[in-house]
Amino acid sequence: MRFSKPIHVIAGCLALVAALLGSTSTTVLAQQTLPPPAERTVDFETDIRPLFALHCDSCHGAKKQLSGFRLDREGEALRGGDNGRAFTPGQSADSLLVKYIAGLDPDILMPPEGDLLSDTQVGLIRAWIDQGAKWGQDRPATVQSSTNQRHWSLQPVLRPVPPVVRQTTWPRNLVDRFILQKLETEQVTPSPEADRATLLRRLSFDLIGLPPTPAELEQFLADTRPNAYELQVERLLAAPHFGERWGRHWLDLARYADSDGYEKDSPRPYAWRWRQWVIEALNRDLPFDQFTIEQLAGDLLPNARPDQQVATGFHRNTLTNKEGGADPEEFRVAAVVDRVNTTGSVWLGLTVGCAQCHSHKYDPLTLREYYGLFAFFNQADEVDLPVPLPTDEKALVSALVQTSPVRPSQILLKGDFLRPGEPVPPHTPDVLPPLPTPANGTPTRLELARWLVNPGHPLTARVTMNRVWQQLFGQGLVSTPDDFGTQGTPPSHPQLLDWLATEFMLPTLEMVPPPMPRQPPVYRGPWSLKRMLKIITCSATYRQQSNPRPELGERDPRNVWLARQNRIRLEAEIVRDAALAASELLVRTVGGPSVRPPQPAGISDLTYASRTRWTESTGPERYRRGLYTWFQRTSPYPMLMTFDAPESNVTCTRRERSNTPLQSLTLLNDPVFFECAQKLGQSAWQSAAGSQDQFLTALTRRSLGRDPTPEERQTAEGVWIRFRDQLRKQPEQIRLLLGSPPSTDSKDTAPPAESLEQAVTVLMARFILNFTDSKDAAPPAESLDQAVAVLMARLILNLDEFITRE
Amino acid sequence: MSPDSATQLHLGRRQFLAGSAGGAGLLALASLFRQQQLLGAPGAPTSLAARPAPFPPRVRACIFIYLEGAPSQLDLFDPKPRLNELDGQPLPESFTAQVRFAFLQKETARLMGSPRVFRPYGASGIELSDLLPHLSQQVDNISLIRSMHTEAFNHHPGQLLLNTGSQMFGRPSMGSWLAYGLGSESENLPAYVVLTAGRGTSGGTSNWSSGFLPSNYAGVLFRNRGEPVLNLANPPGVTQELQAASIAGLAAFNGRRQARLGDPEIASRISAYELAFRMQSAAPELIDLSGETEATHAMYGLGRPEPELGNWRGGPKGCFEAFSRNCLLARRLVERGVRFVNLVHASWDHHSDLDRQLSLSAQMADQPVAALLADLKQRGLLDSTLVVWASEFGRTPLGENRKGYDKVTGRDHHPFAFSLWCAGGGIPGGQVIGETDEIGWHVTRDPVHVHDLQATCLHLFGIDHRQLTYRHQGRDFRLTDVGGKLVPQLLGTT
Repeated sequence: MRFSKPIHVIAGCLALVAALLGSTSTTVLAQQTLPPPAERTVDFETDIRPLFALHCDSCHGAKKQLSGFRLDREGEALRGGDNGRAFTPGQSADSLLVKYIAGLDPDILMPPEGDLLSDTQVGLIRAWIDQGAKWGQDRPATVQSSTNQRHWSLQPVLRPVPPVVRQTTWPRNLVDRFILQKLETEQVTPSPEADRATLLRRLSFDLIGLPPTPAELEQFLADTRPNAYELQVERLLAAPHFGERWGRHWLDLARYADSDGYEKDSPRPYAWRWRQWVIEALNRDLPFDQFTIEQLAGDLLPNARPDQQVATGFHRNTLTNKEGGADPEEFRVAAVVDRVNTTGSVWLGLTVGCAQCHSHKYDPLTLREYYGLFAFFNQADEVDLPVPLPTDEKALVSALVQTSPVRPSQILLKGDFLRPGEPVPPHTPDVLPPLPTPANGTPTRLELARWLVNPGHPLTARVTMNRVWQQLFGQGLVSTPDDFGTQGTPPSHPQLLDWLATEFMLPTLEMVPPPMPRQPPVYRGPWSLKRMLKIITCSATYRQQSNPRPELGERDPRNVWLARQNRIRLEAEIVRDAALAASELLVRTVGGPSVRPPQPAGISDLTYASRTRWTESTGPERYRRGLYTWFQRTSPYPMLMTFDAPESNVTCTRRERSNTPLQSLTLLNDPVFFECAQKLGQSAWQSAAGSQDQFLTALTRRSLGRDPTPEERQTAEGVWIRFRDQLRKQPEQIRLLLGSPPSTDSKDTAPPAESLEQAVTVLMARFILNFTDSKDAAPPAESLDQAVAVLMARLILNLDEFITRE
Repeated sequence: MSPDSATQLHLGRRQFLAGSAGGAGLLALASLFRQQQLLGAPGAPTSLAARPAPFPPRVRACIFIYLEGAPSQLDLFDPKPRLNELDGQPLPESFTAQVRFAFLQKETARLMGSPRVFRPYGASGIELSDLLPHLSQQVDNISLIRSMHTEAFNHHPGQLLLNTGSQMFGRPSMGSWLAYGLGSESENLPAYVVLTAGRGTSGGTSNWSSGFLPSNYAGVLFRNRGEPVLNLANPPGVTQELQAASIAGLAAFNGRRQARLGDPEIASRISAYELAFRMQSAAPELIDLSGETEATHAMYGLGRPEPELGNWRGGPKGCFEAFSRNCLLARRLVERGVRFVNLVHASWDHHSDLDRQLSLSAQMADQPVAALLADLKQRGLLDSTLVVWASEFGRTPLGENRKGYDKVTGRDHHPFAFSLWCAGGGIPGGQVIGETDEIGWHVTRDPVHVHDLQATCLHLFGIDHRQLTYRHQGRDFRLTDVGGKLVPQLLGTT
């Protein structure tokens, strides 16, 4: 935060002082006449440069260029700043610079702090301008400060030697030794391992984004093999839902949406094909280096396959403005800028966007270097290609192709596409390892992508592993996942981060699982994401309990030392998935086009793109996972937004986790969630053979993946009685609570539940008939219990625990 | 535990608020306010708890009337007799050489006068167009700025700049900044409420987004018919009693979990459910206008006949009623302690058919907005409530001769000079700030940038716009980016 005093106060004080002292040498605010120019020949080096250095350099020099103005080099000084040209040689009377330093502008007086220039000094500057504003030799630039050269994240990644720890039984793998070292230094013991039920629910949410089924839980609880936990990890890594879960994280980074954004916000009917590519690539564990290359430059690979062209859809998720009157070039440039910024955040972990308008103030990235990166993406044109896909005979996909002929790139002053500056060839920032020059001269996106995943690159693996850690612990080792620069937070465990990064690129630990029948052999080589997930999730660090530790509340309030796991509220899509899964309404089909589940009426009227109307999906499509929900940028699905899904206009490397009353209203009253409660309550009651106790067990297992505690049974009994007494007074509500019989059109992809579901349907139909037969009579006890069961299920689906991975 | 003891498990609101932390940025905020010696001990309540401003505020609420699409200042607020004289003449090269247009063909564009009749009104004698007969009766309460300017040239970037201080996506809106800075004074309603009429804006939710601030600071979109907040109504069969029993039961279960785990986030959740429950009764009460007198209804134009709309771009049938209702709701929200109310209507983007389109839009807005000012004043609320009428830019003095148009009947986008007004909050009424040249092309006196307006609004709330910051991606962001100068005339300090 900058506390500069308001200019008029300082100037006013000076004016007062000047008036009191009767001084005439001090310029006062809003002086009406300019001091005359000096009547002698002025020498820049002796007369002028010292004035600039003393009074102007701190804000308009090499380090800072406030208002876009730099006064220590001839070119920039002549170009001027945000307010226009500072001076034109020969015309000192019209110079903004002279007006500002002489106090002739009512709003701006320079310098804002420190001594003002005397009339004599202003006269010297006037004379210098009038005499042609000649400069001496520019001094060598001092942009690369030694601080930047030493910044941790720019150092090569070297594999650290795992530290020696005193406690040798706790660590399960090398990860734990890094964590334990810090804990031992602080004399803190790790938390105990969480119980099996918690572990399975945690693992399931983290790896596939779904809660364990009661059968999976039972199997794990009964598994006495020593490697039972590792086998669960392998099972989940091999599940087709793995790609959905980790694909959604990647979609956040890629600002994925199903529409253009901006005013027209037209639909993007092919966008999902890229999402499909991501899910499949993650499921087959496409090594991250290849994953990177195909998405940034798949079209440039020799004999690029169709799926590699589809991969370039990563950078087709930029916004498109088709607003009437918009200059297409302006928004083409905006898309290129977004590609540079996104690439910077996702792979480099650097906020390169600052340098779009000025050299980065804090990180070693100049304006010119920004446009060097820009030049790579300025060579990519958007196309919708007909591509043969395994799923679709011939389909259009949104991809990038190399511009031909080459489109020259220039610096854009203040990022304005109407103010091109000097030409810039594609190049990478100086402070990073050099980009190998291809034989034919100019490097392309392909060279850029290969450069990013070169094991000598200090950032890509660190940034990627940090995000993986963030997903598994709720916060990264570097808590600013998109800022590894000097303004970001340094890593809490730098050696661990480097160990993970090297192990990611150059594996040493033996992690290949035994071959599984009917499963393709798994890849566990360099850049394998699944391999790193297995290492981390198998660590003792990951397996700890997440209960807050009051004794550490003061010393480690944000749990940076990781003396426990963290409780993490589920992401928006997973909240939906969890409710659908618990109620067995979830349709587990993987992939395909986006769907439009029910949303409150009137949402899509909020924008004025008439093509964005929401036509509700029917049948099983209503019960798909959250990541398949159509994402309309100007009127996103309200449930997702209420739970902090990103707006998908720019890359998002870390989601918020808010806790609001609107979330409560969604879970309590949204028809989707109420339908889940109806289904869950009724089916758990059906399975309980009339026993409240068994009902509560079934309900808790299905929704929370554990058994109820004795205290909870007591509480539940009280709540049950209260619901029942209320309903006895208002029996007409029972039928409404039970709703219509469960829809049968949702089950074509969930065959195992079919027979049960049919049974429920028949029973339900009977209850409904009972009502119509005896409207005024007391409600049948069975339907009263069913209605109470629905209310109980609704309550459980609203618990903090239900939407929290513990 | 019995169900009755479950109901007793009630956590105070303050406890809830203290528990729901909003990240490092809030700590920064707390530390800022502490520096001003206005927050007590470290760890004082953050989140939506009401907190004192760093210096004494003049207002405690703002009603920001956002008329999206750029209403023509030349036909509403800024009379240009010379422009009428020059009607049909080309614009001198000196004006057009350096500028862009969205649709205009520079070479053949001609100046276009206004058919509107401007007359002085009130004691101040401010001239307004005949399209604003009701607002004309309120001129002595408003401060009209004729010297607004902006950099944004297309609608969506312009909307973002006006509402969030930046043309880039992902920045918090002014209402979010205020909710972040000052919290909420309402027990039962959100701090920041958005009401729309008609089609909604092209920018959608990004205009009231909390950006990188935690999402509890985002504008909560109330709908203007049916449920004011999504999912306020209980599902079928869930009576109010059953809902109360459910909330109590939830508190009991969640309370058990919290007792076991000690995570304050669970306490926040319990309280969020309680506020949700209170909102379920407060929000319907809020939108039930049956308790308002007939005179009030009539004043805001509720139930007035709606003219034949034809192809009006301001929205479907019923839009006049919706806008009237929103204006009245805005007053009711402010009465109930809501900090920031955003009234949104689109679109005023009159590239063609300007006379008819603008007449209808002005007719829709004029009476209810004027009524809002009068009503706030008669209830003694105007002094503590800032009312702003604003849009993202203005319209050209040139007629729009877009390719394919056979007649010139509208105006193009004009960011260099436009008009808006503010009222209330002790702002001196009956004044005109700034001036444009004889055709309304450039500002000639007292330019006011969008950031200047934003800086002044925050100042009225007792906040220095340079000090209300949030650390994000390695730097401190603020509403006014790197700009913003207070407008002394608005503060009555000239």
